[in-house]
Amino acid sequence: MSDLQTGPPPATAPPSTPSGTTTEPAPAEPARPWTRHLAFSNIGAVYVLIALVALFAIWVPQTFLTSATLYQVFNSTAVTALAALSVIIPLSARVFDLSIAGTITLTGVVATQLIVKHELGVPAAVAVAVLTGLMIGVLNAIIVVVLKIDSFIATMASGALLAAFTTMVTGDLDVTGVVLSQGFNEIGQTMVGGFTLPVVYVVVVTAVLWFLMQHTAFGRRMYATGFNREAARLAGVPTERLRFASLVISGGLAGLAGIVLAATLAAGSVTAGTPYLLGAFAAAFLGATQLQHGRFNAVGTIIAVLLLGTGVVGLGLAQAPTWSQDLFTGLVLIVALIATRYQRAGAANATVGH
Amino acid sequence: MALRLRGLTKTFGAARVLRGVDLDVRAGEVHAFIGANGSGKSTTIKVLAGYHDADEARCEVAGEEVPLTSRAAKRHDGLRFVHQDLGQVPELSAVDNIALAHGYRRNRLGGIDWRAQRELTRRALERFGTRVDIDLPLATHSAVVRTELAISAAMHGWEPGSGVLVLDEPTAMLPPAQVERLFDVVRSVRDSGAAVLYVSHRLDEIFALADRVSVIRAGAVVATYDVADVTADELADVMVGEQGAAVRDVQKAATASEEVVLRATGLTGRTMRGIDLELRRGEVLGVAGLVGSGSEEVPYAVAGRLTGPHGGTVVLTDGGRAADIPLVPGNRIAEGVFLEASVAENLTVSSLSTVRRGPRLSARRERSVVRDWIQRLGISAPGADAPISTLSGGNQQKVVLARCLNRSPRILAMSEPTAGVDIATRARIYDLVAREAAAGLSVVVTSSDPQDLVALCSRVLVVRDGRVVAELVGDEVTETVIVRAIEGIRAA
Repeated sequence: MSDLQTGPPPATAPPSTPSGTTTEPAPAEPARPWTRHLAFSNIGAVYVLIALVALFAIWVPQTFLTSATLYQVFNSTAVTALAALSVIIPLSARVFDLSIAGTITLTGVVATQLIVKHELGVPAAVAVAVLTGLMIGVLNAIIVVVLKIDSFIATMASGALLAAFTTMVTGDLDVTGVVLSQGFNEIGQTMVGGFTLPVVYVVVVTAVLWFLMQHTAFGRRMYATGFNREAARLAGVPTERLRFASLVISGGLAGLAGIVLAATLAAGSVTAGTPYLLGAFAAAFLGATQLQHGRFNAVGTIIAVLLLGTGVVGLGLAQAPTWSQDLFTGLVLIVALIATRYQRAGAANATVGH
Repeated sequence: MALRLRGLTKTFGAARVLRGVDLDVRAGEVHAFIGANGSGKSTTIKVLAGYHDADEARCEVAGEEVPLTSRAAKRHDGLRFVHQDLGQVPELSAVDNIALAHGYRRNRLGGIDWRAQRELTRRALERFGTRVDIDLPLATHSAVVRTELAISAAMHGWEPGSGVLVLDEPTAMLPPAQVERLFDVVRSVRDSGAAVLYVSHRLDEIFALADRVSVIRAGAVVATYDVADVTADELADVMVGEQGAAVRDVQKAATASEEVVLRATGLTGRTMRGIDLELRRGEVLGVAGLVGSGSEEVPYAVAGRLTGPHGGTVVLTDGGRAADIPLVPGNRIAEGVFLEASVAENLTVSSLSTVRRGPRLSARRERSVVRDWIQRLGISAPGADAPISTLSGGNQQKVVLARCLNRSPRILAMSEPTAGVDIATRARIYDLVAREAAAGLSVVVTSSDPQDLVALCSRVLVVRDGRVVAELVGDEVTETVIVRAIEGIRAA
């Protein structure tokens, strides 16, 4: 597979550019073929996705190849996508946020409860819910960064606290009410040409995160922190501040996902967030194998969400047994991780002989 | 002859690290094995231990031929090692640690026979009169007790009077007060008739302990003496030799100005116990010392990067912050490079503002900065976007150096700037630092390789036991003087 990857060009010593950092004469570097972006090692999941579409087109031609299926894949995966996007920044800094399921549930409950019980306006309720997500992020960050507890177990524990808190304020009853269908639901149910509004949120968040992680110093330093925290610290990167920020961001984004989910359901479910944890991490890890060679990134994550979503929707249409959907998700993830592992091993072997 | 080694050669890639090592260790003697950094000392031990295979070698242990040309978990039962880290699991007890090396005794039901196991542990420790609670985790015991246990475990099952025990810098991790007790242990091993190959770089230990000493230099044993017939001065001279004459020719930085740019007072840390220093403009100040002396912490302290308990103040006379001083860390892999990132990303991580356009990083600007450095330092890399893991160690080190210099610093802190770097790259690094210093850069550098300090520094502070004990200036900065000073041998 690795021979499909067009490597960087051989070093052809460019004409001397005796320059400070201001001059920018950009000596001609041999143009790299744009086709390298299409290499299987770069966007393998897209090819798998195409193969999958072809498979279902043959398997269930009447139902699968319709625009309804297309919309269903996008609309049904929007919340998963938001949840997955919320974990990629912490993961880039090698921080786990396993509390997102609890955050999604709690922020949905907070927003709906404020509207139903406290008769708050929708904007105010949404604002408080987002703030709740951010506060959860701050608390996680205090435990992980200030008190120096391993993020994996710390956020698992704080997730349990969030679940307990949710049950406490709701009495373990879903928050429902007609009022939720009179404005609040529009956040999740408004249609924009076949797609629901959450798909638009996903597009916006993806664009912002891609810019932030791939094109700013913030993102570069976040990756550096994840690659080698000690080296980053010694190189002057404010690693602890970045780790703190990453958890606050994931709290805020998970909060957004929670609000969108509650709006889509027009109810505050006390178990709503739980199923999104695995899906979010599966998509983030599968997405890391795409485009950026092992780095967690927004666009790769979305490709992964669509791949997994297409499989699940297709299997549903084919009336395959329900366990086949989990089987599919698990298999795709394992195969992707193995492929990445060998891709990297190949790159490491390339160093021999220097 | 307990161990007879002839013509051991070893190459890594193009580098000929061992050029024919000959070594004879007699039964019932402590044979010291010394050599400077990069002399091939550790490689010899690693080949004997089976971590590396030799290119060519003839080796006999107690008269039996031992093949060294293949890698093996164990070379010969009569040849055993206690490595610097002791190879123990600190969370487990003495009983478990001995069993990890030699297997558990089983009872009839197949379970562990704890009584026999404990009895065996107790007997093993009695060898040196060690009295400790064998059920406590090893971490609760002192360093010397852990070393005794490791030695005892290594000798487990030997007939009295047989075996070759290799001790690799056993005192490096010991507090000074416990060293004498370890010496007693080593002497009792010798008195049992076993041979001890004692690897060290501390000359004082050799005179306290060893019967004979072999000196390795540039991949070959250059001399073997009876310890009674040799002086510390002679050993230091033989260790240093004429090697590195090439790098000595590098033009040193001209005399620095009198203007002080940095003043550090009362630096303390894990090993520093109150170090003061003044750095002048355009000066390359060396800090010399043995491992654990405190010297290795100095650049980190000057650059405000120490973690854990530390104290003292660092004042920059221009009002800058110590934390803004770029640092070339001592351990390239653990502290220096981001192996998963590209050459460009590694180079610009400390100075991203120089490649920024508004909030956006400019790929063009970054590539031009990186290309510039690749040329200036002669970094051999497939390209700016190539993963840094595809570069050799020396080129990775140049990237780290470029990362620091790209911040256009007025002060630079460096630790082990040439560790694992080939001789050509070394010369290039020396040359670069000298030129930057001539242009006004002030540098604090520590290195366990005296050659570095000789090539780079006009002034060297010698650190022993956490304090500055000597200052070498100008013509005093030679390898022999530095080696004597860090070892604490009075100048002849």
